Amino acid sequence: MAAALTNQLNALVNNMFAMGLLDDQFQQLQILQDSSAPDFVSEVVTLFCDDGERIICEIARQLEKPNVDFDRVDSYVHQLKGSSASVGAQKVKNTCIQFREFCQQKSRDGCLKTLDLVRTEFYDLRSRFQAMLQLEQQIQACYPKH
Amino acid sequence: MQIMARRMIRVLLVEDEEINRVVARAALKAAMTGDGGDDDDGHVLDEAENGEVAVQRVRAAASAAPYDLILMDRQMPAMDGHEATRRIRAMGVTTPIVAVSSDGLPADVEAFIGAGADDFTSKPLTKEKLGNILSKFRLA
Repeated sequence: MAAALTNQLNALVNNMFAMGLLDDQFQQLQILQDSSAPDFVSEVVTLFCDDGERIICEIARQLEKPNVDFDRVDSYVHQLKGSSASVGAQKVKNTCIQFREFCQQKSRDGCLKTLDLVRTEFYDLRSRFQAMLQLEQQIQACYPKH
Repeated sequence: MQIMARRMIRVLLVEDEEINRVVARAALKAAMTGDGGDDDDGHVLDEAENGEVAVQRVRAAASAAPYDLILMDRQMPAMDGHEATRRIRAMGVTTPIVAVSSDGLPADVEAFIGAGADDFTSKPLTKEKLGNILSKFRLA
């Protein structure tokens, strides 16, 4: 049972790398997880998922305003980029880099299109991360605690 | 045989985003121990969520137990990393300040160095980057 779940988990994570959703930073996090911090990766992933949702909602709210404060939008995109870089969310991070260019150009259309893209990429990644965390919990449940 | 006591290294991490603090904390621990698994890793990490708090922490620590290293983010609420670096230097503090930012453009690096930082590294912080910083400033 545990072996099958572990295979499933490895396949899921490998697929995320193969699709370019994750980069080396995620491997760095896996290396930093040890017996003194057994839930380190899930802690960082959960922070990313919570931060990302909050920031994307805030960007959308800012872009709905009649007079968009592009510096403020840029500041939120900067936050999302930093959060993505920390978890190794390569695709979301790269879209944030494009997004910041539209902020600098003060292009509302460009920002709205990129917001749609980053939202899609973020929620796709979040659902994969959630599946990953669920599998990890199931694997842990196979081993009774001493 | 004489056993040399290992000096406790005091580090101040200035960073507003919790996720970055969590990652930096773990990376620093791993860089100090080599494998990340030793509880007695010889460092004390203080954290400040913006530049204003960082200046207060540095001022408070200056006489009693000054920091050996300050890791400084750029974009933060209340006071950014450039201003905090300037104020810390204005206090006469010579602790190495390493700027940490995702914007690694030459202008960003120059602005930080101009404010008084000693070095610059890109985000996210990793065990390897922190290991290099600790070696550079002879803290490892």
